[in-house]
Order: sequence, then structure tokens, then C-alpha cells
Amino acid sequence: MLKKFDKKDEESGGGSNPLQHLEKSAVLQEARVFNETPINPRKCAHILTKILYLINQGEHLGTTEATEAFFAMTKLFQSNDPTLRRMCYLTIKEMSCIAEDVIIVTSSLTKDMTGKEDNYRGPAVRALCQITDSTMLQAVERYMKQAIVDKVPSVSSSALVSSLHLLKCSFDVVKRWVNEAQEAASSDNIMVQYHALGLLYHVRKNDRLAVSKMISKFTRHGLKSPFAYCMMIRVASKQLEEEDGSRDSPLFDFIESCLRNKHEMVVYEAASAIVNLPGCSAKELAPAVSVLQLFCSSPKAALRYAAVRTLNKVAMKHPSAVTACNLDLENLVTDSNRSIATLAITTLLKTGSESSIDRLMKQISSFMSEISDEFKVVVVQAISALCQKYPRKHAVLMNFLFTMLREEGGFEYKRAIVDCIISIIEENSESKETGLSHLCEFIEDCEFTVLATRILHLLGQEGPKTNNPSKYIRFIYNRVVLEHEEVRAGAVSALAKFGAQNEEMLPSILVLLKRCVMDDDNEVRDRATFYLNVLEQKQKALNAGYILNGLTVSIPGLEKALQQYTLEPSEKPFDLKSVPLATTPMTEQRPESTSTAAVKQPEKVAATRQEIFQEQLAAVPEFQGLGPLFKSSPEPVALTESETEYVIRCTKHTFSDHLVFQFDCTNTLNDQTLENVTVQMEPTEAYEVLSYVPVRSLPYNQPGTCYTLVALPKEDPTAVACTFSCVMKFTVKDCDPNTGEIDEEGYEDEYVLEDLEVTVADHIQKVMKVNFEAAWDEVGDEFEKEETFTLSTIKTLEEAVGNIVKFLGMHPCERSDKVPENKNTHTLLLAGVFRGGHDILVRSRLLLLDTVTMQVTARSSEELPVDIILASVG
Amino acid sequence: MGLLDRLSGLLGLKKKEVHVLCLGLDNSGKTTIINKLKPSNLGTEPRALHLLGKHSTTELNPQPQHIYDCAQVQDIVPTIGFSIEKFKSSSLSFTVFDMSGQGRYRNLWEHYYKDGQAIIFVVDSSDKLRMVVAKEELDTLLNHPDIKHRRIPILFFANKMDLRDAVTSVKVSQLLCLENIKDKPWHICASDALKGEGLQEGVDWLQDQIQAVKT
Repeated sequence: MLKKFDKKDEESGGGSNPLQHLEKSAVLQEARVFNETPINPRKCAHILTKILYLINQGEHLGTTEATEAFFAMTKLFQSNDPTLRRMCYLTIKEMSCIAEDVIIVTSSLTKDMTGKEDNYRGPAVRALCQITDSTMLQAVERYMKQAIVDKVPSVSSSALVSSLHLLKCSFDVVKRWVNEAQEAASSDNIMVQYHALGLLYHVRKNDRLAVSKMISKFTRHGLKSPFAYCMMIRVASKQLEEEDGSRDSPLFDFIESCLRNKHEMVVYEAASAIVNLPGCSAKELAPAVSVLQLFCSSPKAALRYAAVRTLNKVAMKHPSAVTACNLDLENLVTDSNRSIATLAITTLLKTGSESSIDRLMKQISSFMSEISDEFKVVVVQAISALCQKYPRKHAVLMNFLFTMLREEGGFEYKRAIVDCIISIIEENSESKETGLSHLCEFIEDCEFTVLATRILHLLGQEGPKTNNPSKYIRFIYNRVVLEHEEVRAGAVSALAKFGAQNEEMLPSILVLLKRCVMDDDNEVRDRATFYLNVLEQKQKALNAGYILNGLTVSIPGLEKALQQYTLEPSEKPFDLKSVPLATTPMTEQRPESTSTAAVKQPEKVAATRQEIFQEQLAAVPEFQGLGPLFKSSPEPVALTESETEYVIRCTKHTFSDHLVFQFDCTNTLNDQTLENVTVQMEPTEAYEVLSYVPVRSLPYNQPGTCYTLVALPKEDPTAVACTFSCVMKFTVKDCDPNTGEIDEEGYEDEYVLEDLEVTVADHIQKVMKVNFEAAWDEVGDEFEKEETFTLSTIKTLEEAVGNIVKFLGMHPCERSDKVPENKNTHTLLLAGVFRGGHDILVRSRLLLLDTVTMQVTARSSEELPVDIILASVG
Repeated sequence: MGLLDRLSGLLGLKKKEVHVLCLGLDNSGKTTIINKLKPSNLGTEPRALHLLGKHSTTELNPQPQHIYDCAQVQDIVPTIGFSIEKFKSSSLSFTVFDMSGQGRYRNLWEHYYKDGQAIIFVVDSSDKLRMVVAKEELDTLLNHPDIKHRRIPILFFANKMDLRDAVTSVKVSQLLCLENIKDKPWHICASDALKGEGLQEGVDWLQDQIQAVKT
């Protein structure tokens, strides 16, 4: 066994690192050698190396032991061995934060930095600045000033760079060195000039005017150093971005003029700066792109890489601008450097025409195995973009993706591919069957749980609707047999979905599920038992409610409600309808590579937003007994212009029989304090204003909240839409803007606000039904109504769909909010929950002739919501 | 190199190296003394301000005038931490750790006690007020475990003898209670570091003592 380990060590290159098995205590023990005389420079340098190695490996040195080693090290200053001395500098820098009293070496370092040995001076400056804090800086200030203007470039550079570091902690001291830095900026040495410019910029960067002056000064006189030029370009483009500006500014002219610099570095920097400027027009891009085009045929690989990478970026935003380079990019496709070739191909895929895709795909597949995962992801993203652009090419692209899927690769890469395939399947129904069968093959040998469960979910959703659903069962059941718990649970759910939608397969599914009931894992067993029982009932409504469409309530809300229920036991059974619904239900967004992470976050925020409102409202005594909060309007509506004396924004909260308007008020007058602020509301319909909850006091710039409680009309329950005219009433008291003292005397005043609309959307909460058809059947046709309307002002289907979704505030299901191209009919499926907890489903068939004709069918478990919907549409 | 070193050592060509600590309160003249003892301090040895004062001020960096007024000939700035200087006497090569005398750095002296083979303790004989402070520091030094039980020679310089209100070296030794030091060889020299008077006498004594210990 021991032997085996040794061998492994050797293989992993362990033999080549002599410092591998260092013991901290042993090394510190060795450091005592520093105290001996005479000093053995070689031995000491080696020990210092060991100490540095340990520190860099993350070994923790205690303060005492570090200080001890540090002081021992200071004695090495008596040796004049150059290697040892430089090791000392390094050690000082590394240990400056670990050991105490490191300032002990200050005089030794100042002696070195002003000494005769040029080799010591630069490093000494750097080490000195590392150990100097702002209190000590005064003492070394004049040495620093002198070093900045030193004739030796390395000393000057070191001093400038160190000053830059010192700037962070002692800005005011370093600011005084500007004159010296200015002098260094006119140095002939390219590095010194660059560093001096860097220091000057960082001293002035908070002062826009000074930076502009600096740029214009240096651009007028010209610079020697290409590095300095690059930095000026960066500074200038940053400046331009902040000005968000006009392209005729001298800054842009400067960047443009740098395109003709003799240094390639500067030219590239300028081109890349222009390309990255936000809102760059094609005309401005042209010179930059042509420069990059030249670089494409450069013999230097680095330049070619930089050029093609930048062009790749340009191609995302302005594919047409890059078309001119297509020929050069074609040449790069066969470049011996794989990174360059990959970027060239992906750029071409973005800019090229449909006809060249086949050829490019063949080319890229020839060396796909040789490039790194990171680039493979770039390729996948390019393909994903292509699929949206040229849907007819999906066969070629799919095939390519599947070959990639079969190859080795990391999680990110595989996820990108799966995302891409899923999006193709969703966009393009023709590719569904092939896509699904390929994915089935993939999960047969998939090491990533997340991907496997995701594909199983997709199979459960799409599989039953295909022509031959039974062929997927084998793949899914294999998962139950072979995989670990999470995948098994996913597979069981997928199986149940097949059973719920397909009568013929139901008996066999039941058999399979019965076997799963014996599973080792709790979750798998629970799921199997649950599904088995539901399926055995053989009722469509049950299937739809419990298998095909999951829970629509917000999970944290459910948790809270359940906890509440267990704390206050009552006779009544727990009512799921009292749980607030998830505000933004799981939207099945088109999976782009980044979307999964991005989508999840706002969801959480939205869920908690309603929670916050719920708590705030519950704290107001007037609102006790309104029941649970049903819905809060997603965006506050502004009732004033943004630049007026008072800023009022309204959020609507819907309860089962009441509405609460929450007004967030801000007083922007610093010489007034408002008291007793309420918003008086006059409804146009049968709504009844019950009470006002005022803000007691509203001082300058401190937001306050007042509420208005309104009862919904009882006699005519269909009249949900209403307009309220709003007036803010308050008592004004003048106050001193400086001291904040308030006058005793006040007077009544009013302020007219804009009207507030309450629409159907405020009464309906969006709900996602994964399987609309099943939900449709579940609700049944007891309260079904149908009507036909003509939308005379709307000219396209997209517009119609957008308007309907927005107006009803319901959730579009089964991707029906996307209208396929070149069709004049479309069916929009909407789902929601009406206040009080009744599901409401709307199917609207649209027909485009000259105008849009719409047939609306609404179903619900109650009559009222259906009536309301139809009344409001009409 | 190693071989040559040993050879020259055997032949007595190479001088024996000794470590000396130079201690004392701030502004007592430690750095000035060491500078004076260094062989070639005639303008070539750069204490930073030499350079500044003599070459570069006019063209680069106009310094405030008062620095020159008070610093006169010697442009010595307070030492921060320590610096290592070397000089040779007739038979020894001295490596001096010139320690900073400022209050906040005095507790750092002890890190160097262990490898010091001799101590030079400099006293400003015109500063009667702080003589007690000097005595206190001296006592702490003598009672330090690294020093206490070693027969380590101590050389006192009663510096700044040229000043009018300076006390004599005898008086200094009384004020510091030097007669109480029984177990270590010590010697006190009146000195004027600016002119270099009295320094050589002290160094000669030190050299004799060290050689006596060694042999």
C-alpha cells in the first residue's frame, strides 16, 4: 500500500517540488540559523524561500512566531549578498501583515533605497512602502519624492507603483507627490511614463475636469510609452461612457487617432475601446473593425486571437459590421491555434448565411475534441442562437449537438447543450420526437443529477403527447432501477404523468409504480404511493389536479399557514385556499445558458415581497379580520409626476371582500412638514370607502405610508373595474430647513392626484398550469361561457396576445403567448385564480383577417368569475 | 570563496568579526558616532540628506530651509528601527546594530541582545533632565535575561562634551550609578562625536576587552 502511494506521488510530479513536505515548526526552527555569525547566505536564502513558500501555501503563522522569525531575518541585513538581500525584501513584504513591529527595518530600507547599489534600491522602495502606515509615511515622504524622480527607471517605477498602493490608505500624503509624478510622466522610459500616468490618474480620478485636462495635455504632447497610450485610451473611454455621449467629443477623436498608432498594442486597445463603447453606430465601428481585420492576418497568434475574439463580441451586436471580415475569418477557421479557429467559426456562424452552416459545422466537429470546455460552451451558445435564427436548420444542428452530448465534458458544458436542445424542442415541434429520443439516450449514462431530473421532467411533460409514448417508458423505468434517490423520485413522477394521460398504458404504469412502492428511499416511496392511489381512482379531475399540475401556492406561505394551523388547532380542516398563491409562478422561460440562475432569484424576492406586505398590513388594527392577503399589485403606480412637491405611489392589495390602497408618500419640500396625511378617494362605481389610516407626520424626505380601505360592491359583483379620483388631504406646518424646527401654526391643504384604476387584473392572481388541457377538463363545463369579440384597433396577433395577457393579468400556459410566424389563427390559453380562491381558465381563439376577431371561452368552478371576465372583456 | 575565507582567517589576514549593539536615548548621538567611526564618510557614504543637501535640492526638490539650519554639518535624521553599519579597528571588524533611541522603539532592542558581543551605550551629557530615563533604560538592559549573566563589555560614551552645559564623564557615571556594575567590564569616555574626539579611545578599550574575552 505504501509503495503504491509513493508511486502515485512520483507520477503526480511530486519529485520535482523540493518544498512539498515542509513542516512549519521545522522551518521556523531552522530560521534560528539567521542569528548565527558569520552568516551563510545560501543557507539563509534557502530557509527564507521555505518560509515564503509556507506563507503562500496558506499556512497560518501565529503573531509571536512570525515576529520572532521576522526579527531573526532582520539580522541578515548585515550580509551584503545580493540574493539574500532580495529574499529579505520579499520576506518583509510577505510578513508585513503577520509580524509585529515590522517598522524595525525602516532605517535599513531607507539606507538601501538611497544607497549606491541600484539593484537594491527599487525593491527596497517597494518593501518600505509595504511596511509603512499612514502615520509613518511622513517620515519617509522625502525619500519617496526623491525616488519618484530618480534617474534609474527601476527605482522610479517602484516608487510610483508603491505610491499607487499607498494611495488607498493615505490619499492626502500621496496627493502631495503630484509634481514629482508629473516630472516622471515626461520620462523617456516607457515603464516609468506608464506608471507615472497611472499614479496621476488615480490621484485625480474623482475629479472629472482634472482627468479631461490631463488627457488633453498628454494627447497634445504625445506619449512615448505604448502602455501609457493604452491606459489613456481606457481612461478616455471610461470618461466617454460617463458622459454618455456625443461622439464628436475630443476624447473620441483621440481614441480614433490611436487606431493609426505605430504600436499594435495601442491600435488594438483603441479598436477594442471603440467596439465596447455603448451605442456605437456602424459608421464609428467601421475603422475599428477594419483594423481588427488587418490583425486577423497577422503572423502573431496573440494578435489574431485578440482580433477574432473582439470581432466575435462585435458580431453579437452588429453582425452586419463584421460581414466584411468574413473572408479573413474563413482563413482563420483552419488556424493551427484551436482557440482562434473556434472563435472564428462561432463568429462566422453569427455573421454567415444559412448556406454556410453545414460546412462550418463539419469543420468545427473535426476538432471539437481538442478544445477546452469553455470554448465548447461558446460553440453551443452560437448554435443556440443559430437555431433561433434559422429554424429550418435544426436537423443539422441537433445532430451536431447530440454528438457533442455523447462526448466527455464537464457539467457547465453538458448543461449548455441540454438547455440548447430543450429550447430547440420547445421552439420547434418537428424536432420534438428526435430530440426526446436523443435525450433519453443521454440519461442512460448521465452523471449529473440535475440534468437527469430535468430531462425526466421534460419527458413526463412532453412524452405522453407524442405518437408513441410507450417507447419512453423503458428509459424512465431504467432510471428507477439503476439510479440514486433523486433521479428515482424524478422518474416516478414522470411515470405517473404518462399514466395520467394515457388510458392504454395505465395498467402497465400501475404495475411499475407498485414496484416502486417498495423502494428504499422515503421520497420515492411516498411519491409512488401517492401517485398509485390517485391513478387508481381513474378520475380525470384528480389526475389533472394532483399529477399534471402541481401546487400553485407559495411555499413559504404554505409553511407559515401550516404552522399557524398547528399552533391554533380548530375543528375545521386546513383550507388550502387560504394560503397565498405564489406571486410569480414557475415560469417556463426559454432556457438560455444563464437563465436558470437569473430566473430563480426574482422569484424569491417576489415571494417575500408579498410576505412583507402581509406583515405590514397585519400590523394595522383597522385591517384585522380582512382574511389573508390575496394579491398585491406587482408595481407601485405613481400618482404624481416624479418632479413635484410630493411624490405619491400606490400599491393595491386585494382581499377576498376588500381592497386596501397603500400610498407611499414622500415630501420633497424641505421647509414643510405634513401632518395627518390621508388620501381621499371617490369611486365611480358601487365601491364603498370604509376608512382611512393617515400618516401622523411626514417630515422632509422621510417616506410615510397611509392606507385607504375600500369594500367591494356587494349588489353588483361583476362591476369589478372602477376608477377612483384621489385627493391628498393634510395639514401643512412650516419648518426651518436648517434646524428642522416646526412652527406651531398649521393650515389645511389639499393636493389633487391622478386617478387610480382598478381592473380585472387586480382580482386575479397568475397561476401556471403546466398541463392546461388537464386543468380545463378538471374544472369542467358547468360554468362555461363563450362570446365573440372584434378587436378593431389591433392589427397583429402578437399585439392582441400581449394586450389580452396584460389586461386579464392571467398566466399564459403551454407557451401560447408566443405566436408562430406566418399564421393567421392562434389559441391563447390563460390560467389564474380569482379572488376567493376559484380557479379560472380562459381559452381565447384569435383569428386575423383585417382586424383581429376573438372568441373567448371562460371556465371556472364558480359562475361569478366567468361573468366578470366576459363583462370586462366586452 | 569559502576556502579562501578560511585560509585568510588562518593566516590572520582576515579580521575577526564582532557584533556590537549601539544603544541610548534618542538624540544622544548614536548614529553620528557610528558614522564618524566608519572609514570613508567623507561625502561618499550616503546618509540620505547628504545627497539631497549637496546635489539635488536646487534642481529637483527645494527642501524647507530650516532643516539645514538646525542640522548644520551633519544631516542626520532620526533612525527608525535600526540600521547595520560596519567599521574596522586595528584588529577587529565591527558590525554595529545602530538601534533607534526613540521611546516607542526601545522595547525592540531586546530582540538583538542575544547576539551582541559588546554594547556601546551613548548618553547625552548635556541632557541632565533625561539622565534618569537613561539610567532606567540601562537598568532594564542590565537586568534582561539575555544580558544579565553574560560578561559582556559595555562602553559608555558621555557624548556632546563640547556643549557648555554638559556635565563631566565622572558626573555621568555617578548619575547612572555605574559603580554598581560589578560583573561586567565597563568604561566611560567623554566624547564629542561631531569632531570625533574621544571615540578612538573608547573603541580601543572595547577592542582590548573583546580580545581578552576571546582568548
